[in-house]
This record gives sequence, structure tokens and C-alpha cells, in this order.
Amino acid sequence: MKRLLRPGISTIVVVLSAAMLVLVPLVRQNRKVDFSAEIKPILNKKCISCHGGVKAQGGFSVLFREEALAVTGSGRPAIIPGDPENSEMVKRILSDDPEERMPYRHEPLSEDEIGIIKRWIRQGAEWGDHWAYLPVKETPAPRMSSNWIKSDIDRFVYAKLKKEQLTPSPEADKFTLLRRVSLDLTGMYPGNTIARKFLESNDEHAYEALVDSLLASGRFGEKWAGMWLDLSRYADTKGYESDGGRQIWRYRDWLIKAFNDDMPYDEFITGQIAGDLLPAATDEQYIATAFSRNTMTNDEGGTDNEEFRIAAVMDRVNTTWEALMSTTFACVQCHSHPYDPFRHEEYYRFMAFFNNPRDEDIPADYPLLREFRNDTLKQHFAELMTWIRQHGSEQEARKFDSFVRTWQPSVNMVSADSLENALVINKNVALAFSNHARARLKNVDMENAGQMVWNYFSNTKNGTLKIRMDSPDGPVLASVAIQPVNKWRKEFIGFPRQEGIHDIYLTYDNPSLPAKSDGFYLTFDWVGFLPAVPEATAEAGNYRKMFQDLVTTNDVTTTPVMMENPGWMKRKTQVFDRGNRLLASKTVEPAVPRSLSFPMPEGTPANRLGLARWLTDKRNPLVSRTMANRMWEQLFGTGIVETLEDMGTQGMAPTHRELLDHLSWRFMNDFKWSTKALLKAMVMSATYRQDPRISNELAEKDPSNKWYARGPRLRLSAEQIRDQALSISGLMSDKMYGPSVMPWQPPGIWLSPYNRADWKNSSGEDQYRRALYTYWKRTAPYPSMLTFDGMPRVLCAARRIRTNTPLQALVTLNDSAYLDMARHFAARMKEEGGPDLTGQLKKGYAIATYRPLQENKLKVFEALYRKAYAEFSRDTLRTKQMLGGPDKPSDARSAALVVVANAMMNLDELIMK
Amino acid sequence: MTRQELNAQKLATEARETILKTHTRRHFLKESAMGLGALAMGSLFGCGSRKAEPTAALFDPARPLFPKSPPFAAKAKSVIFVHLAGAPSQFETFDYKPELAKMDGQDCPPSFLEGKQFAFITGVPKMLGPQASFARYGQSGAWVSENLPYLSKVVDRISFLKAVTTDQFNHAPAQLLMHTGSARLGRPSLGSWATYGLGTDNQNLPGFVVLTSGGSFPDAGKSVWGSGFLPSVYQGVQCRSEGDPVLFIKDPEGMSRDLRKASIDAINQANMLEYETYNDPEILSRISQYEMAYRMQITAPEVMNINDEPQYILDMYGTQPGKPCFANNVLLARKLVEKGVRFVQLFDWGWDAHGNVASNALNVGILDKYRSVDQPVTALLLDLEQRGLLDETLVIWAGEFGRTPMMENRNGIQNPYKGRDHHTEAFTIWMAGGGIKKGVTYGETDEIGYTAVSGKVDAFDVQATILNQLGFNHEEFTYPFQGRPFRLTDVAGKVIRDIIA
Repeated sequence: MKRLLRPGISTIVVVLSAAMLVLVPLVRQNRKVDFSAEIKPILNKKCISCHGGVKAQGGFSVLFREEALAVTGSGRPAIIPGDPENSEMVKRILSDDPEERMPYRHEPLSEDEIGIIKRWIRQGAEWGDHWAYLPVKETPAPRMSSNWIKSDIDRFVYAKLKKEQLTPSPEADKFTLLRRVSLDLTGMYPGNTIARKFLESNDEHAYEALVDSLLASGRFGEKWAGMWLDLSRYADTKGYESDGGRQIWRYRDWLIKAFNDDMPYDEFITGQIAGDLLPAATDEQYIATAFSRNTMTNDEGGTDNEEFRIAAVMDRVNTTWEALMSTTFACVQCHSHPYDPFRHEEYYRFMAFFNNPRDEDIPADYPLLREFRNDTLKQHFAELMTWIRQHGSEQEARKFDSFVRTWQPSVNMVSADSLENALVINKNVALAFSNHARARLKNVDMENAGQMVWNYFSNTKNGTLKIRMDSPDGPVLASVAIQPVNKWRKEFIGFPRQEGIHDIYLTYDNPSLPAKSDGFYLTFDWVGFLPAVPEATAEAGNYRKMFQDLVTTNDVTTTPVMMENPGWMKRKTQVFDRGNRLLASKTVEPAVPRSLSFPMPEGTPANRLGLARWLTDKRNPLVSRTMANRMWEQLFGTGIVETLEDMGTQGMAPTHRELLDHLSWRFMNDFKWSTKALLKAMVMSATYRQDPRISNELAEKDPSNKWYARGPRLRLSAEQIRDQALSISGLMSDKMYGPSVMPWQPPGIWLSPYNRADWKNSSGEDQYRRALYTYWKRTAPYPSMLTFDGMPRVLCAARRIRTNTPLQALVTLNDSAYLDMARHFAARMKEEGGPDLTGQLKKGYAIATYRPLQENKLKVFEALYRKAYAEFSRDTLRTKQMLGGPDKPSDARSAALVVVANAMMNLDELIMK
Repeated sequence: MTRQELNAQKLATEARETILKTHTRRHFLKESAMGLGALAMGSLFGCGSRKAEPTAALFDPARPLFPKSPPFAAKAKSVIFVHLAGAPSQFETFDYKPELAKMDGQDCPPSFLEGKQFAFITGVPKMLGPQASFARYGQSGAWVSENLPYLSKVVDRISFLKAVTTDQFNHAPAQLLMHTGSARLGRPSLGSWATYGLGTDNQNLPGFVVLTSGGSFPDAGKSVWGSGFLPSVYQGVQCRSEGDPVLFIKDPEGMSRDLRKASIDAINQANMLEYETYNDPEILSRISQYEMAYRMQITAPEVMNINDEPQYILDMYGTQPGKPCFANNVLLARKLVEKGVRFVQLFDWGWDAHGNVASNALNVGILDKYRSVDQPVTALLLDLEQRGLLDETLVIWAGEFGRTPMMENRNGIQNPYKGRDHHTEAFTIWMAGGGIKKGVTYGETDEIGYTAVSGKVDAFDVQATILNQLGFNHEEFTYPFQGRPFRLTDVAGKVIRDIIA
């Protein structure tokens, strides 16, 4: 059959080619122009900087079709569909007058470009959608056959390789594979048992077994959580001037657990965007929302809370787009997107989803989720809730549940107004009262309220606080004498049950103080209004006490979380002209951009939960593509779309668009959003398993490995560098979760003004935890990790750019932390490598790389050892120093081995994977 | 020492260094020579004088700091930016306002308060007259207060900008705006842009060095010298006068220089073998980075040591050997620039003259601050000049904003000491050297120094001017990020032509 067919095909090809030669110009003339592929790039490159977004020179913009076809400043439309010859745009492109010709004072368009534009206008000047904004379609792999191919991924890759006339590389050796896949999936070395099992097995499924055990390892979650920390701009401090500490590590715990449990990605996103809005949200679901609370809080004296609250809200919008949808939405803050189809107003509609949580740039980062640390408290809370459900309404129960867990809803007193003899300290800290002072809380929901809970400070005798309603001299709800106490406290003031919405006035008078005084006698943090604990039975008193203890206890772990404002506190969202909040105009309601080819799914609420449904709807074109692309980038070093931060028209074109769609489709459908399944598909491919050696041919034809004719060879990340060194030195702590730790760093790194916080070196195993647990201060991050391109985590960072600098060499050569690790590594060589030097060096190299040590490298290390040994055997002081101090033995052999260990840890094969 | 002698001395040092450099390099080549590898390494060494053609592909990860030519002829080769963090008062330094003295102690007129934002002033504050006497100096007749007696002698070398404004009235955002063109964290700083665009002339030193004094970092922290979205290699490297001059520059205790040399050689030899297997150019790049690291270990401590400067130079700057202080940093800045460092950023913290405590009072603590900067900054201009470096070194003196003509009344209560609140509408900065006009005052404030009335400029204009002096058109010098080209000056900035020579 084949033989028979072959000449036939050739003949057809020849005939067809000949025919094409004749037909091409004709076909070209009539072929439908592809707007995204042919027109949009010309517009973006040549026209849009003057005719789009903010600038619409001559009243002409090519951003949206209706704008482009509209009448321009000259009184005529610049584009007349169907009539290129009379379209002003074409005339101006062709003009001979340098003052008329477009692009103005820039290189003219080429013949080809002009031809395409004319053809496009003749065909009706239709606009089209960018590929990434169209839904993901099921994309079967091309039919390809080769012994090299192991999976569908390889078929896509193979097809491109063939086109580029490249041959793929064979599978890498086992040592390379083991190191690569371990570092990629778990960020560090596998346990010895897993490693041995793989290296010693001849079973053809040994690699798959290795992959499965790595995916099942608890270390998996730590590695992928680490990646997510850059996206969620996680840090242990609040940023800005004083950059004080913040407790938000429970979010990191949540991420680790979510990745380890292989939480489906749609659920993973829903939790982070809207966990608090899920019915009967659990503590874990609240904590997931800390994703959006990793924004900065500005404690600098004199700053305007509202300004920085809005900055945080905008950051949430930008991060949601960049991290989850590879789209740069930030441009739209000030004007319609110059390149992508997003309108200015759509930014603010989208912002409206994020504009109504309770947080207000308060130094304490309210609202906080309070997780009880001990079981008694947890049990009391359960008992209290049961009792309230029995004796009160469901609505009351919800209020108590919320208040005990979050102290919300409550009013931050810095937002009080109508102040008399009162002021907000430094304009943003707390509300302070002098004598005969007064403040108003506007429009408070008092429906069913029977008590006020407040957090305040007063150490002055004889003062009285009154709670009044509706006006400064309105009815007194309660009047209490303030006892002087020298600390902040929370107290409970009961009053008869109220109804409706009211202005509340708080007044303070103290007859023992002068009427006019500069001093401050009472300082408020927040106040909340709640129903009284039901007085149903004789036991009510016990439950009231239980409630009060639960609200006041400090035995809690707190985490800033998202929590929606109740109706009476709701903010409206306005469009800011040119992004300036002082130019607020039209009020808008939450909505997603219209241009993304599909609307909100039916029946979804117009809040963050609805937004989460929209994000995770299979018709959302960006979410699955973004994650599939990101996973690919983590393994191969470069995304299928290299610009992870932007898949829009300004981002780079995908190298393997069909492969990306194939993976994205399978991620949502076949894999049911399982991250582990997606990763497994990638690491099982022949593409991933290739040998990394660069042939001369590849060095010339594909130096950046764009077509994947070889395995990835990449520098380790900042975290991996540290984790690897901890692993091979045997120091790595396997403790998981918990607050951030402070491994050794040089003194003098932290010097924030108005902040006395110190770096206190952790002790015990906390010195040797995985890098992702390192305390991250935004204005002064851990220096050695920053040197290896770690991110300051101030804003969402979609990817890191790997650099290669002398300062990196100085870290791994000289940083005391690394020398400490080298000492332990040397000790391991000695312990595990047998009595002779050669054995020890071989062992060391095997520990570090899993690979046997080549003879010529062995010689290099032996020579270094001899030189070091000769030096140390003459110098006791240096010997002791190298081993860690004057109390150490003067053992020249051990000291020389430390020098070799230090050198080994700097080998290219360790810095790279 | 005369200027000629100085130049001779300089030449001698340079010669010595060249010999040392060549020697070190040859030494390396000899010891790591392994066939092909040595050749490849040789090609990677990159000499300091090598100039690449200006190209669009500015970032080469393998040699990110190699010197590059700017697109236009540059007036300045390097920059020393002296930032007095906390913001010095223009009223006690350069902006002489006799009318304000007449209003001293009076209630502030409501027109100065309505619709204005202040950090701490609440209610109606009192006006505060200048807390220093003024005189005119030099041929240019520039006004300088009694607080800066040294500086008053060099005013004919300086261009003063008297009408600088900002829209940020808090320290951290205002400092970020001044250095990164944005009040929020996350953008690259001036020095990062400069080294990204120009590389640096001395590969044995960082291209962008930061020196801090005053006991605290600037309010915006390390982000004011961060590289933002530029590759991290362009972030400022903090050099310290206590501890290691550059982090991790010192060999571990017990490691002799010889042994460090031997171990770097061993690493590079093994890496060369690795290169023979993998053929990955990244390995060659790593080899050269390790050599650079070794050379930096020699060069950085040398240049960071001021003790080898002649006594008259130490006296001229008023240095305090062994102590972290501003004067030492200024002298270091000169040494660094002389050695080919592209951008030196100095921050001196403690200028926030609120007057709520004695240490930040205009009439107490701030007087010491003037004394600590006056002599060294003056010495810097003279020293650069006598070395023939002032023409190619742009020196900038600035704070992040100005101070109010009103006395601060924090939380509505008169502060116990003389002090002024943050002020956005007018302040003074100056520039000198690097192709800037000499003896010029540009811009004017109203008669009490509240508002700029002519020659108004802002941080973007200052940045545009700095980039202009370095040979860049600030509107065309961009970096693609998040799908759009970003520039230091965002969508603003105009080169201040009136002060360009």
C-alpha cells in the first residue's frame, strides 16, 4: 500500500505546488484577514500609542471597533468598512506629505502591511478576539509517531520539532532525572529510601513510582506553596514606612495543606477569593481569603487610611488578574486598556467586588480571624453557640458566631466624626477624648442590639461614658463610670433592646478634670453592637460569662481575613477619573468585563462568591490557561507563553498554543482541576525527561530551548539553593507549618525607622527550616535569598527572572549560614564515606548530586584538599576557626574537608538542575 | 598637595591597579587553563573600557553589568545622589523669606489651610519665621543660611531649584516618588535604571552602591534602591562602613586568601569540566562570575577603606574613621565614583524637623545635622573638581519634600520645640557637576515660601534631567513589564533645560 501511495502523493504535491504558484496572489486577495494575527499586531505596534486608550489624536482611536469607525476630529470617520480607498486612515498612511503621513514622523508601513490593512477594510474591518480571550477548546494531539514519544504532550512538541528540523534528545540518565524531578516537584532532595529505590531499580515503571512518591510527599505542598507566595505577595510585615510585623502565616499553612491534599484548583481559587462568603464558612475557608489580605497597611503617622485602603483594594484587583488570569489590568485603573479590550469603567466595576470588605488600613489589620488555641475554649464556643441557637434566633446566632470569631462587625473609631474635644491620634491610630468630649458613629444598625462591646484605654479616674442615640443630647442608652486601668481592655455595656438604624453619640465627661484641657483621657480602638445574650434560663449568666471570656481571651491565633461589610456599612464604588481617587465620578455596581466573551454564570450573586464562580467556570478562557502555563514554566523554566504576567496582545505569543489549550482543557475536564494530575502528565512526558546536554547544532539553532529538543537546565531558585544545602548537610528540619522563622542573617539588615523590631536568630531546628518559612520583611527581605532573585513580595510577581552575578557567588562561598552547612556536609562525608579521603569525596559528591564522581573532578578536589591540609597543619588558629571556633579541635583533616565541602556546594551542577 | 600632585598620585595608583589586575587575570588564566575553556573564559573577561554598541536588547543575563553607551551623548558618567531623609527645611537653608519673619507667631491665615492636607498639623497653627540668618554668597549671589557656612563658599558651582513640588506628604511614599517615580513600592529606582541602561565601568565593584547614615534606613526601606521589575542584578548594593563593607564579601574565618583562591580555582576547573559535558554557556558565565567575586573581594574592601586617604583629604571631609557617619560616606562616594561606579546613593536619616522632641527641633537637634553634612558635601564638590571629576559626576542634594512655613501643632497642640510639618508645595534641592550650569538659581516661591510661583518642577522633572545628563531621553528609555513599556518618569517629566550647561 505504502509503496503504491508514495509516488501518488508526490505527484499530487507537485501539481498542487504548481497550481499554488499561480493561485497564491488570487487567494491572498480573497483570503479572510485574521484580525488578531494580522491586524492587531500592526495596530499595536504602529498606531495605538497615539490612537488608543488615553490618547486619541485627531479624535481617532483603534482600540474598539465602534471607536475606530466613529467620526473623528476631521468630521469624517477614518475607516469606512468596505471602502479602503476612501478611508482616511489609508489615505494618511499613503500620503506623501510628511506632515500628513502616518505613522506621524515614524517609519512608514511596509507594502505588505498596507496591503493587509486595505484588504481588511475592504472585507468590512471586522474586529476579532485575541486567542487567549476565546474559550479553551478540546484540542487533540496531532498524529505523530516516533519511538521517542511517550504521551500526547510529546506529539505536540514533536510536531514543532519536525517543523524546525530538530531532533529530540534521548532520556536523561537516572541521576539527572532523579535530581530534576525531585527538585521540581518537591523543591528539594527525596528521602534516601525513595532515591535508592529508583536508582537501583530496573523496572520500567520505576520513574513513575518515583514521581508518585514525590507527589505524595508532604514536601510537595511546601514547594508549590512557595511558588504561590510570590503570586499572593505573602510577607510577614505590613510594608510602607515602619513595616511592622503581621501574623498571617496561617495562610501559608493553608496553601501547603491545599497543595498536599491536591485541592481542586477551582476550589483552591474559590477559597482564596471568597472563602468567607461560603455558607457556614470554616476557619480554613476564612484563612484562604488572606490571599487578598497580603496587601500592605500603612501605619506611617499622618497618612490617610482611606487612601491606602483604596491602594490595597486596587492591589487585590490587579493581583487577581495577574496571578489568576495572566492579564495586566492595572493599566485600566487610569484609562481604557491601550492594547486589550478592557474599558476604564470596567476596572471600577471589577473593583466593586473587592471594595466592601471590613478592612480599613487600620494598624491592627482588622478584621482578624481568631482561632482558639485550646480545646476548652473551642468547646465553650460550641456550647455557647448551641445554647444561643436553642434560645435565640438563627440571625442572633450568626451575629454571635461572627463576633466571637472576628469581633465583627464593629466600628473602627478612627472613622468617627462630629468630633468635639476629641481627635484621631496622628490622623490614623486611634480616637482620643479630652474632657467633655464627643464623637458620632453614623448610621449604626441597632436592630435587636442589647449591648456594646468596646476596646479602649483609660487610666483616668472619675470619668463617665454615655451612649446616646440620634443626637448629642438624645436619649441615653447607657452611662458607665470608667475605672482607671493601665492597659487596653474590652468591656461589655448592656442596654435595653433597640430597633432600627441610628446615629450613636459617645460622650465623656470628667468633673475632676479642668473643663478645657489638652490631655487625653480615654482612647478608643473599636466598638461593636450586638444582641444581648438571651436571658432564657437561670443559666444565662454562665453563658454571658462564657461569651465575654471568648471575646476577651488572648489565647488565639489571629489572621487578617476578608469579611464583607454588613448592609449598613456598605461602601459605594465610584469610577476614578485618570485613576485619581480625588476625582471620583460615576457610581458603579460589581461586574466582570464584557469583552471576555462570556458573562457571569446564571444565578450567581454580584459579590466575590459570584466572581469566584465566574473565574472557575470552564468557559473562563484565562484561568486554566494561566495555571497550565505556570506549571509548565515551573518545570521547563519558560512558559509556553513566556510572559506569565500577560497573555494579552502585548504578551509574547505562545510557542505551542495547541499544546497549551490541550493541557488547559485536560486540566479542567480530564483531571478535574487536579494540580497533581496536571504535573504528573508533564513530568511523565518524554519532553520533560530529555537529556539536558546542548549539542552544537542546538546551541546554534535553539539556544534558549524554545522548541524543547533537550531537557531543561536551569538555575535553582533562591529557596531551592538554601533547601538543597540544608539537605546535603543533613541539617534540614522536617518540621512543617507554623510561624515564620529567623535563620542566621548578618547584623544590621533591619533598620526601619520608628520600628524597634529585631531579627532574633531562631534556635534549635528552627534555624534549619525550609526556605519558605523564613521571616519575610518587605522593606528588608532575607538578603541571601534576595541575591538569588527572591521577590520582595510587595506586589504580585508572576515570575522571577534568573540572573547570574558575583554577589550570588559570595553568598554560597562566604555567608556564615552556608559555611555552617559546609561544616556539617564535611562531617557527613567523613562519617558516611569510610576512612580514606577518596571515599569521602566520592560520598560527598554522591550525596550532593546522586552521581558518581568523575576521575578528573576527583583530582581537582584532592588537590584542593591537599593544599588546604598543608595550610591547616601549619596553622592551628585557622584550623579551629574553619571548624567553628576556639573550642574546636585542631584537626587539619577535618578543616581541609570543610574547604572542599564549601567548594562542592558551589559547583555548577549544584547551582543548576 | 597641589592638584598636579594629586593627579600624579592618582595616576600612580591606577598604574598599580592595572598591574595588579593584569597579574590576577593572568594568574587565573594560567591556573584554570584547560584547553578550550581558557579561551572561552578569556573572551568573557570583558575589559572595563569595552563599549558595546547601543542596542535594543539591553539585558544580557550573562553579563548584565557590562558597560553600554547611552543613545545620546552623555554629560555625566556617574551620579552621586545625596538624600537627606526626613526632608530638610528650605526656610533654614536656601529659601530666604524675610516676610515670613514678620508673620512669626501669628495665627496661620485660613487660606493656607483650607483644602490642604498636612501630616500632623491640626486646627490653626502659628506661623514660624526663619530660624536662621541669611546672606548672599559668591558671584551668583545665592542665598544661604548661617547653618551652612562651608557650602556658602561653593554656591557658584551649584544650580539651585527653589520651586520643587511633590504630591506626597508622607515620607515613605515621597521618597519612593523621588527615587522610583511612583509613590507605591514596586518600581525600579534611579540607580537601577542607570545601571540597567549603562552597565558600569568597573566590573570588580557593584555598579549601584548605597550608603546610609543617621542610624536608620530611609523611611521607604530598601525599596528606594530596589530594582522593582528590572532584573534583581540592578538593585542597589548596600555598602556598609561597619561589618563587611559588602554583604558576604569577607572570607570565612580560617580561610586564607590563598586558600580562597585555590578553592575558586577548583570550583572553576570542575565547572569547566562540566561545560565540556553540557556545552551550556551559562557555565562559562558562572565561571566568570566567580572570578569577579574573587576580584570584588579584593577591590571592595580596598575602596571602602578611607584610611589610605591622605590626612588633608580626611580633614577636608571631616571624616570620623571607624564610625559609621555621613562624612565617611561622602568620601566613600567620591572614591567609588573615581573607581568607575555608576551610581552612588547616599541616605542620611534624621531630618524630620517636627519639633515634637529636642532631637528633631530646628533650634536643637537639626543644628547638629547641618553641621554633619555641611563640610563633607562641600568637600565633595571641591575634591571632585580638583580631580577633574566634577564635570562628569552629577551631584544632587535633595529631601523628599519641604517643610511648612507654619510651626507644627501636632494633634492640635503647639509642639514643645521649633518645628515644621511636611510640606508638598515648595522645597529646594540643588544639583552640581555633570553638565549642570554653575551659579544658577531656578524657580521662585511666594513671599512666605508657601507655594511655588515660577520655575515649578517635580520629582519627574528631576529624574528626566538626571537621565538626560546620563544620555537618555526619559520618554524613550523603557522596560517592558506587565505588557507595557514602563519608564522611570511614568507619563510625566520635563527636562529642566534652564539649569543645563
